[in-house]
Amino acid sequence: MSRKEKAAAMHIRRTAGDWVFDIAVIIFFCIFTFICIFPFYYLLINTISDNDLVTSGRVNFFPMLKGADNLPVFGVQLNNYVALRNVQDLGSSVLVTIARTIIGTALMVITSAWAGYLVTKQKMWKRSLWYRFLVITMYFNAGLVPWYMNMLMMGLTDNFMAYIIPGMVAPYNIILVKTYIESIPASLEESAIIDGASTVKVWLKIILPLSIPILATIAIFGAVGNWNSFQDSLLLMNNRPDLYTLQHRLYIYLNSSSNLGAMMSQGGQVSEQAAQSMLNQRVIQYTVSMVSIIPILMVYPFMQRYFVKGIMLGAVKG
Amino acid sequence: MQASIQRSAGPAEEAQTLAQRIPLWVFRLIALITGLALFFPPVNPGRVSEKINEAASLFTTGVSYGTITNSMGRILRSQWIRDTDIHLLMIACCVVMAGVIACAAGGCMSLGNHKMRRRGLILPLIGAPVMAAGLYLIRSAYTSMLAHGEEVGKLDTIKLMVPAGFWFFCALAALLFLSAGAAFLAAGKVRDASAKMEMEEKYRLFLMMLPVILLAFIFAYLPIWGWRFAFFDYTPGGTIGPENYVGFKWFSFLFTDPATTRDLLRVLRNTLIMSGLGIATSWLPIAFAVLLAEVRSTKFQRFVQTFTTIPNFISWVLVYAIAICIFSTDGFINSFLTNIMHMEGANTNYLQVADHTWLKMLLWGTWKGVGWSAIVYIAGIAGIDQQLYEAAKVDGANRFRCIWHITIPGLIPTYCVLLLMSIAGILSNGMEQYLVFSNAMNKDVIEVLDLYVYNIGIGQNRISLSTVVGVSKSLIGITLLFAANGISKAIRGESII
Repeated sequence: MSRKEKAAAMHIRRTAGDWVFDIAVIIFFCIFTFICIFPFYYLLINTISDNDLVTSGRVNFFPMLKGADNLPVFGVQLNNYVALRNVQDLGSSVLVTIARTIIGTALMVITSAWAGYLVTKQKMWKRSLWYRFLVITMYFNAGLVPWYMNMLMMGLTDNFMAYIIPGMVAPYNIILVKTYIESIPASLEESAIIDGASTVKVWLKIILPLSIPILATIAIFGAVGNWNSFQDSLLLMNNRPDLYTLQHRLYIYLNSSSNLGAMMSQGGQVSEQAAQSMLNQRVIQYTVSMVSIIPILMVYPFMQRYFVKGIMLGAVKG
Repeated sequence: MQASIQRSAGPAEEAQTLAQRIPLWVFRLIALITGLALFFPPVNPGRVSEKINEAASLFTTGVSYGTITNSMGRILRSQWIRDTDIHLLMIACCVVMAGVIACAAGGCMSLGNHKMRRRGLILPLIGAPVMAAGLYLIRSAYTSMLAHGEEVGKLDTIKLMVPAGFWFFCALAALLFLSAGAAFLAAGKVRDASAKMEMEEKYRLFLMMLPVILLAFIFAYLPIWGWRFAFFDYTPGGTIGPENYVGFKWFSFLFTDPATTRDLLRVLRNTLIMSGLGIATSWLPIAFAVLLAEVRSTKFQRFVQTFTTIPNFISWVLVYAIAICIFSTDGFINSFLTNIMHMEGANTNYLQVADHTWLKMLLWGTWKGVGWSAIVYIAGIAGIDQQLYEAAKVDGANRFRCIWHITIPGLIPTYCVLLLMSIAGILSNGMEQYLVFSNAMNKDVIEVLDLYVYNIGIGQNRISLSTVVGVSKSLIGITLLFAANGISKAIRGESII
């Protein structure tokens, strides 16, 4: 409301300079937004157009298919997505990524909810010490190689559990949950305690239902993080290609062809067939990329509802 | 809990005497050490051959066949060590673990009231003998391997040994048994047979928290134990011991070895330039938020916000995929120039060109992050008191003066916190972005510290050297963080961590 009033107040004396400024700002944001979404759109139309037209660079702004006399006409095909069935190793990495996204996120949310509730309990023995113990891990990092050696020591290399267990304790999310729970009126919890509910019961029956918004927030962020995970797969799964995550698999596809591309641009002799397979590979890369972007775009509308809340809570120091 | 409320109202349980306390604390301490030793490879009692992975802890030995045998290739194929013996070893380790878990559970229960404590102390009295039985089984696995090794005449290859951890665990089992026994005897009889097993709330809450604390310890603090590689000449698959202890050799190596020094300086230059560019442009999200707030249509605002935030949620690998589809030889730019602008010979692969790499990385970072970073400022602007604007307008301020004197000062505190954090993290720009964008042409200018640590540590297997670089980086990082926090406290009177 106040924004509208302000606008109304401003409307009274808008000078020519104001108009120019407003239009410039709107043009700027249109261009910037276009830059942000066009690549996604371009990727999409490349995967649903005719592959020969993609190869010859005929697909620029609209999806095209070959019409009469091989002339490009507007049209859409989904053959590339169907062809993904034949792409080697893709299935296992999709399954692994889905599994880690579901299991990893669920366990992370449960752990954060549980720990976030417990650290609000002033009665806990040495509470602030343990809380700090968790918070420090956000800022302190022993380094990549010691971390890797530690995972090796735990037997978490070439092991699916490496995707799940280390991610369970997420200090930032614990802080978010704690901050949120502290905003719930304490009287609700107290009345349940007086009625004889145990800690676990209070958590299950009172705290969890009331903290659904924050749990949804961290769940969505956790799921996106898991879906996008790349580094742990790269570092830990050396001997288990079947456990590579989707992003790692995509990285491999992208690299295998960019080497071919490098050979060509350096004027090396590349056979027609190799060039053809490279270009097909290019379309496959685009399609796999699209497959890994689509789930994120699908949860994005839900996410938007929550992330402003999440980021503002994060700004409130724990 | 109702019971605890009643209890705290009633007479408190009688205090423990010193003679009761001391054995109890000794027992808890040993139980804690034993519990942690489960995850500590140097004291693994199950490493009965030098060929068993040095990095395998007792826990790993018990649960992961693959990890203990991953450097045994030939030995297993030729059955110089039989599978059955390895399985026996794993079972033995599981038995030891069961004993340790019983002792640890006893340690937890010993925090309760008299009755619970007494019950709890029975567990280690059972658990310690179970541990001993497990250790005996390890011993028999060892004997069986020895006999078989002699039979096939390959004792030199399979390198059997009695690990130091074996005796360590024997000692732990004995100590656990003795201390728990002493504590049990000192605790005395249960006088009130009708008393319930209870625990004070503070300890109950602590025990509920304990699994989380242990997980954090294992995955965030235990890696510090890996810093020891910085002081040894370590090669993967090798061992560390007094014979390859080199003190601070690797630290001075950074400054004395010309090639390494050159690399390090180059990498530091890249790191500082890229972080510096990031810090120099850290005002962009503010500008973005302020300009967006000037747009009068809330629909348009929401539209812009929605679509400029999307890039933040895709991984760097996908950003690279997008970069390929726009900038590579047959990407959008080239096909646009060729087919729409009819330009000849437009086939530059912009990703392979090393020019302006730092600027390109900055632009990718901005593309991905600016919309997202602006959200916190947009929310900040929404939180500014509208009366300030009205008052300013009454005083005749135009919109630019409003922005300059009201909006921006309102956002500065948030900006300061984020700026200090980014200064504290100046050495850590992450490796993912630079890893995916690096190639043969630009690798000299794109390699940042995190990527360098990855390349020499994981790529070239120079564990010790990369640990030294990583340790230095961690220490500098934490110092910078505390410095930034100190500055924030001095100036704003508020800490940022």
